[in-house]
Amino acid sequence: MAGLELISDQGYRIDGRKPTELRQIRCRLGVFTQADGSSYVEQGNTKVLASIYGPHEPSSNMRSKISHDKCIINCEYSQASFSSAERKHRPRGDRKSLDMAAHIKQTFESCIHTTLYPRSQIDIFLQILQSDGSNYCACVNAATLAIVDAGIAMKDYVCACSASLAKGTTLVDINHVEESAGCAELSAAVMPKLNKIVYSELNGRLHEDEIGKVLDSVVLGCNDMFAVMERTVREHVEETVSNFTHS
Amino acid sequence: MRTVIKSSTGQLRLNDKSDDFYKLHLKEGIRPDGRMLMEMRPMVLNVGSISTASGSSLVKVGNTTVVCGIKAELTEPNASHPGKGIVVPNVELSPLCSPKFKPGPPCDQAQVVTKFLDNLIQSTNLICLDDLCVENDKLVWILYCDLICIDYDGNIVDASVISLMAALQNVKLPEVKINEECESVEVNLKCTATLKLCSCPVSTTFRVFDRSNIIADPTSMEEELTEGQLTIVTDQQGRIIYMERPGGVTLQEEHVEKCMKRAVIRGAEVQTLYMEVTG
Repeated sequence: MAGLELISDQGYRIDGRKPTELRQIRCRLGVFTQADGSSYVEQGNTKVLASIYGPHEPSSNMRSKISHDKCIINCEYSQASFSSAERKHRPRGDRKSLDMAAHIKQTFESCIHTTLYPRSQIDIFLQILQSDGSNYCACVNAATLAIVDAGIAMKDYVCACSASLAKGTTLVDINHVEESAGCAELSAAVMPKLNKIVYSELNGRLHEDEIGKVLDSVVLGCNDMFAVMERTVREHVEETVSNFTHS
Repeated sequence: MRTVIKSSTGQLRLNDKSDDFYKLHLKEGIRPDGRMLMEMRPMVLNVGSISTASGSSLVKVGNTTVVCGIKAELTEPNASHPGKGIVVPNVELSPLCSPKFKPGPPCDQAQVVTKFLDNLIQSTNLICLDDLCVENDKLVWILYCDLICIDYDGNIVDASVISLMAALQNVKLPEVKINEECESVEVNLKCTATLKLCSCPVSTTFRVFDRSNIIADPTSMEEELTEGQLTIVTDQQGRIIYMERPGGVTLQEEHVEKCMKRAVIRGAEVQTLYMEVTG
């Protein structure tokens, strides 16, 4: 390992977490007025904004993709140039962003009931304000909450989490330092109630005996994430309902 | 009053962008969101929320929300100004903030606001560019000021100026020395200094509805209904330091004077907000 101890002898990680502990999560729904659905998610120092527009009539450059039996999902991922330690020169349109956008799009294509919105388009816009590892996961979680806020039908929540392996211990919800230490990184998006894996990606080398173990802890992390997200949605709905009844 | 207008039926009528609807309100001297003609929307300002940036701020003017992050880098100076630092503003109006904006290269409006901020920085000398110089003709600071609009509800200019200024006041630059012997750059991250600002401008935007009604701090809907715009920038002493009126309908002198008076009052209000937030 590149001179960096990811896990101390006492069993704590660099930022003081236990191996299976998620970072502090803060999320809010309905943060913007212009979008049909929006959310803000903070996972430790990773901060993401998501906004959803749609379902609406497909825009002119999407006309060719119109389908008569399902909707088009359009995803744009953008990372603020001040979001990382080194300034990013292109906030979007570079290969990494396009790759990320494609992955998020595919994740949600399989989770949204696309057949309910024929000949329409749903836009998912993601903006990373600060990046500290597990960007894909934070984006998926933020997009799920925004879709819930927009009232678009989904099969289930989609919750994402990442994990890495250091000294035989799985580290859940890895931050930037752990991400760049060069260990294998497994991120997955899960539909927790249906118990299905929607997306998984493994970066780096991992022994096949250990994949199962790491994947299990990722799924556990996703379930933890789900508990937080569901609570947020419930609180948001309660608040909205109480606003209705009092005015 | 506000809750009545914001009821579900009111919201429906707000979306129907008819002049008549707006005129009916103006007859009563009130705007659809319950404000008086010259009343500004409430403002929220937060600084230093993004730790990866050298300086950052988040501003909400009504529903319009702008995040500004400033990244400081070391670079070689321009050959024409060897002893001066560089400040590069950039405003982003992505489709995330409003359905009005389409994906792709920056739209006209974003470029106009960027240019406005650039002009403001250049013409009012708000940052002492000599302070950003580390070594003449060799090394200077370049400040990339990226402003991202995350919710667009009109008056992006005022929100941008406020967030840029708040973020600039929040910037902390580390001490940099050039080691003469080995010609290497030494950065002392422990010793940081805040940026010295020569002036602290506040902009106030007005729009002209139907040639005679001046409204302050327009929302997105009001921007679509009105024709002319007037932006007045004041500094901390209440002096007018910059003005922009990009065409549109003609304005009478008395109107301009009225706007100037309002801009000075608003300037003082925002200055106290800066003081409260940055301490």
